[in-house]
Formats: sequence, C-alpha cells, structure tokens
Amino acid sequence: MFRAGKLTVAVTALLALAGGFLGVSAAAANPSQAAVTGENYVIGTDTTFAPFEYREDGELTGIDMDLVRDIAANQGFTVEIKSLGFDAALQALQSNQVDGVIAGMSITDERELIFDFSDPYFDSGVQMAVAEDNTEITGYAGLAGETVVAKRGSEGETFANSIKDEYDFTVKALADSATMYDDVKAGNSVAVFDDYPVLAYGINQNNGLKSVTEKEQGSSYGFAVNKGQNPELLAAFNTGLAELKDNGDYQTILDTYLEQPAPAAASGFFGLLSDSMPALMKGLGLTLLATGLSILIALVLGVLFGFFTVSESRILRGIASVYVSIFRGTPLLVQAFFFYFGLPQLSGQSIDVLTAGVLTLSLNAGAYMTEIVRGGIQSVDPGQTEAGRSLGLGYVTTMRRVVLPQAVKIMTPSFINQFVMTLKDTSLLAVIGFAELTYQGQQIYAANFRTGETLLIVAALYFIVINLLTMLSNKLDKRFNK
Amino acid sequence: MSKISVTGLRKSFGYNEVLKGLDVEITEGEVVCVIGPSGSGKSTLLRCLNKLDELSAGTVIVDGFNLSDKTVDLNEVRQHIGMVFQHFNLFPHMTVLQNIMLAPTELKKESKADARATALKLLDRVGLSDKADARPAQLSGGQKQRVAIARSLAVNPDIMLFDEATSALDPEMVGEVLQVIRDLAAEGMTMIVVTHEMGFAREVADRVIFMADGLIVEEGTPAELFGNPQHERTQDFLSKVL
Repeated sequence: MFRAGKLTVAVTALLALAGGFLGVSAAAANPSQAAVTGENYVIGTDTTFAPFEYREDGELTGIDMDLVRDIAANQGFTVEIKSLGFDAALQALQSNQVDGVIAGMSITDERELIFDFSDPYFDSGVQMAVAEDNTEITGYAGLAGETVVAKRGSEGETFANSIKDEYDFTVKALADSATMYDDVKAGNSVAVFDDYPVLAYGINQNNGLKSVTEKEQGSSYGFAVNKGQNPELLAAFNTGLAELKDNGDYQTILDTYLEQPAPAAASGFFGLLSDSMPALMKGLGLTLLATGLSILIALVLGVLFGFFTVSESRILRGIASVYVSIFRGTPLLVQAFFFYFGLPQLSGQSIDVLTAGVLTLSLNAGAYMTEIVRGGIQSVDPGQTEAGRSLGLGYVTTMRRVVLPQAVKIMTPSFINQFVMTLKDTSLLAVIGFAELTYQGQQIYAANFRTGETLLIVAALYFIVINLLTMLSNKLDKRFNK
Repeated sequence: MSKISVTGLRKSFGYNEVLKGLDVEITEGEVVCVIGPSGSGKSTLLRCLNKLDELSAGTVIVDGFNLSDKTVDLNEVRQHIGMVFQHFNLFPHMTVLQNIMLAPTELKKESKADARATALKLLDRVGLSDKADARPAQLSGGQKQRVAIARSLAVNPDIMLFDEATSALDPEMVGEVLQVIRDLAAEGMTMIVVTHEMGFAREVADRVIFMADGLIVEEGTPAELFGNPQHERTQDFLSKVL
C-alpha cells in the first residue's frame, strides 16, 4: 500500500486517482468502499483550529485535512473541503450544504442526537497555559481571584467551569484560539484553557505562551455526518481510518504536527506582509467582486423600488415600503445567516456562499438605494414635473429628461456613500465562510498568532482601496454632474 | 367661436373646496385677466384648464377636447395650451436653447435643426438671442420668465395661460415680461392671465374676471369692472389694490 506524509494538493489528487483504481479492484471485497468509489463529498471544517485545520501558504492543511484526504484516497473517493468556521460548518451539515464535517469536534451526547459520528480518531484533553514570562502561576492553585479564558462552547470552557469554584477564579469565554492567546498575552486573563494539541501547536509557533499543567483526560474527536445521511461515507471513513492506523500513516500524520521540533523563527513585519499578500489579494479580489455584483443589483432594485415609492399606485408603494422596512429593519448579519443557512433548510435547495453573500448584500443595499432614489426624486421641485407635463410631455419623458437628470445629481454622493458601506459590509460575510479580505486575514493570524500586525495590513488594504474608489467616484461625479 | 368652455367646475383638496362651481366661456383671440384676493382659486382655475389638477366636478372643454373624457390624450391637449408659472420652472440642467427645444424634439414635432431654428426665432422674439447658450442660473428673473414664455410657445399652442407670471419678479423687471405678453395679445393669441397688475389688466384685457372664495363674483370689460364695479366684494378689493 502507499504511504503518505504531509500532502500537497497535487499529491492528494494523484493518490485520490490511484485510490479510485484500487477502489474499483477491491470493490467486491469491501461493500462500504464500493458505495463511495468515485464519489465526491463536500466536507465542512473550521476556518482555523491548528493543528487540525489551518492555512499554510493559502492551502488548507492540518491533521484533519491530511486524515480526511488520505482516507478518501485510501477508500477511492474524493473530497472538496469547505472552510466555513466551526459553528457555520455544523449548521451547513444540518442543512445538508455539506456531506460531512471534520473539525476537531468532540463526540458529545448532545451532538450525537443530531449527527452520526465515526470511530474516534483523536483523543484530546484540556490543558492550561499562561504567558511565557509568567513565573507565578504553575498550576490551578495559583488562579485564585484571577480571570481565565476559554473557547466558547468548548471542552476547555466546561472543564474550567467545573473547577472554578474549587480554585476561586472567573471564566471568560471567547470565540477562537488566536483571540484567547492574545487576551492572555495582553494580560486581560492570566491563563487559557484549551485543547492540548491546539495549545501545543501554538506554543511551537511562538505564540508567547507556555503550558503549565498536564493534559486532563478529555473526550475524543470524531468525523460527523448528518443524522441518517451518507452512511456509506461514514463506513468508508471508519474503514479508511483503521487502515491508516494499520499501515502507520496515521502516526506519521500526528507526528508531523505534534512533534514539531524547532519553532520556526518569526519573520519581520515585511516578511509577514509579503507572505500574506497572495492570500490577502485573493481575498481583496473576492471582496471587490462581491461589492461590484451587489452594488449593480442593488442599483437595479433601488431604481425599481424607488420608482414604486413615488408611484401613484398604493399597491406598488406598499410593496416598496415592505421591502425597505424588512431589509433596513433587520441586521445584515442575520440576513446573511438566513440566506446561507436558513433558506436552504426551508427550501431544500443548497446555495453557494458567493450567491448567498451577494443576495444578502444586494437586497440590503437595495433597500437603502430605494430610499436614496426616493429622496432624490422627491427633492426635485414639483414645478419641474408640472412644467414638463404642461408642455405635453408624458410622465416617462418628463421623468427621463427633466426629473431624473436633476435627481441623479442629488443622489450621487449618497450612492458613493452606499458603495463604500457595501464594500465594508462584505467583511461581515466572513462569518458564513466567504473567503473575502477579512476572512483571509483571520486565517492568517489564526495560524501565525500575529493578530495586530495582520489586522493592520488588512485595515490598510481596505483603507487604500476605499479611498481610491471614493476619489475615482468623486472625479466621475464632477465630470458628469457639473 | 368658443375656445374654452367651463361649466359647473368644482375642485376640492380633501375637505377644502377651492372652486365652488364656475362657468366661463372664452372665445378665440380673447384676452381674459383674472384678478382677486389670494386664495380665491384663480391659480386652481388655470391648473384645471390643462388638468395639472384633477377636476372634482363639472366639465371643461378646451379646443374641442372634453377634459373629463378618459379617452382624451392629455398630452395632446396640453400641446394646445401653453402655461407660464410664477416661479418660471425652467430646467436648470439645460441651456436656454435646450429648454426651448426639449418639447418640440421629444414630441417629434420638429427635427433637431428645425427646432433649433424655431427656438432661436422665439428667443429673438422675447429679446434674448444672446442668451441661447446660457444656463437658467445665469439669467435675471425677467429673463428667466421670457425664456419660459418662449419655451411654452415652442410647441405652437393656440391658448396661453399665465399664472401670476410677474409676481416673483423684482419691480424693474415686470415691464419686460408684460411687454412680451402684450405683444402676444396684439398677435391675437387666446390668453388667460392671472395677475395682480391692475394697470396691465386694464390696458390689455378684453374682459376682466373678479374671483373671490372660489366663485366668479363679477366680470366685464376693463372699463366696466374697474370704472363701475357692481359688487361690494369687487369694490372692496379694488379700493385696496388701486
């Protein structure tokens, strides 16, 4: 059999192909393998949960990633990995947007009610770490009167809460590891409770922490499919996992990530800048794509509903007013979640993240555009319409030649403003896993723990692009609306 | 021949009845001045004649078109009636020439070249040939109103409505606008002029209508109405303005 260490995508693809051939030849012997051979499965995962999943040079890597790719190759199917974020991945699994989730997820009773889990592939446990230069706290006993931090909804939080009364400390919950480590380094919390492999990997990456306790006996990680869905995928995962354990591949993968000997030397700011630029540029491209598409659609919606608001028909005015109040009256974030997770659950029709993102932004911006168009048209002196109509010009001609040219001039600054708002709002789409600029930034600092510098670069990119576009828009405004 | 025929015209805005049953006949080439205190319904009467305001009751027949008839093409009717507004309502985003050419070209009455020639001729007529390429913002009030008159004349109407055309003007500019209206009267244009310029009404009008509280109180030749007003309301109003 073949062996695989840390795989590049190209090698994985080759192996998948080889596995496909093997799968065909072994089909008669292994029923679970037969069912998955040649299939392509969409697997959801966390954005960053190093060393299980994180990005290196823009590619998803980590224990989970190597494991699921090697198992796929071994069992003759292919996988398409979607890096969604932990909560988002679970929601995507429930709404059948993905076929399975591997995200360093503990097998718990609650989760077993809604998902089917594979055999455990990793035994985790909670460990405590403090800042590197902290010599006072060497165990739980030193925590009296202090605040510690743990990941929201994680085993670490459960464990910390279970001993907080005994050792008299307060637990604060944060959303991801990088933020928690920064919190400890900044001195807001004295210690962090996190899963030991994550902590071990972070310490090896020079995250400025050190572990001070032994790993607590914890739960096990499993691969999950939606309850009752994809049983053949689950069976193939189990079979593949057993084979990787037998042939030593499994241990090689673990050693690659957990036995990293020498920590990599941190590069300077400009090293970070040049390393992160390709991923950030890719993100910026998607940011601009989503902004451009959304603004175009929003413009059409805004003009359409804007005309509805000034129409004589009570029904059309009603439609426009309902549209505006819904999309202006609910948070953009809720709308994004609804279109990406809610709508597929209600309709049974899955939706890709760009479509969901553009749908959200364009409907939202469209509501504001409607108000801009209405305001623009209404701010033109009614005498202008009367003059046009009294000359015998029809409603449409009067609008087109008399009212709109004046209204557009009034609306343009608001349009430019909305354009900038929508560009910035694309950053909210990071939460549904849309790989735009902010998301790429999160990926980078989650892997290298250099939050401040990375966010500075991301903010600078937004700043430069927005100001360039604003200058361009104002130039165009001056040229066409003199 | 009756150019405009109004019978039993009523107009309400909500519960507020502004016109309370008017009857007016205007013959071709007649110049009628409408006078009366503010809020008497003079402007509303004009706006009902080209249906900028909907009629609440009664009939208005203009140039043979019955405005209450839903099948009548209002845009066509309006090309027979020019209207000049108190606040000019020139299109600020167009030059003077473009203001005048807009309707003839959009309505396909004339080619661009013909419309331009007509517009220049009209500008000459109102004494503003040198302002063809100016923007409305660069003109004085009197000049704006003369452009607005030229714009109305561009669709070749056979009736002109003037809605307090000189009320927003500085006193020294009133004369130039009145002169243009006087010239139109001399050419035989049918006109209804709502005005506060009593001297002008006396000089130019064939007939003067005095309105108060949404009704026509009294009408007659200028000599009759100004020289020997019959009604107490008329006497009262004239004593204040003359």
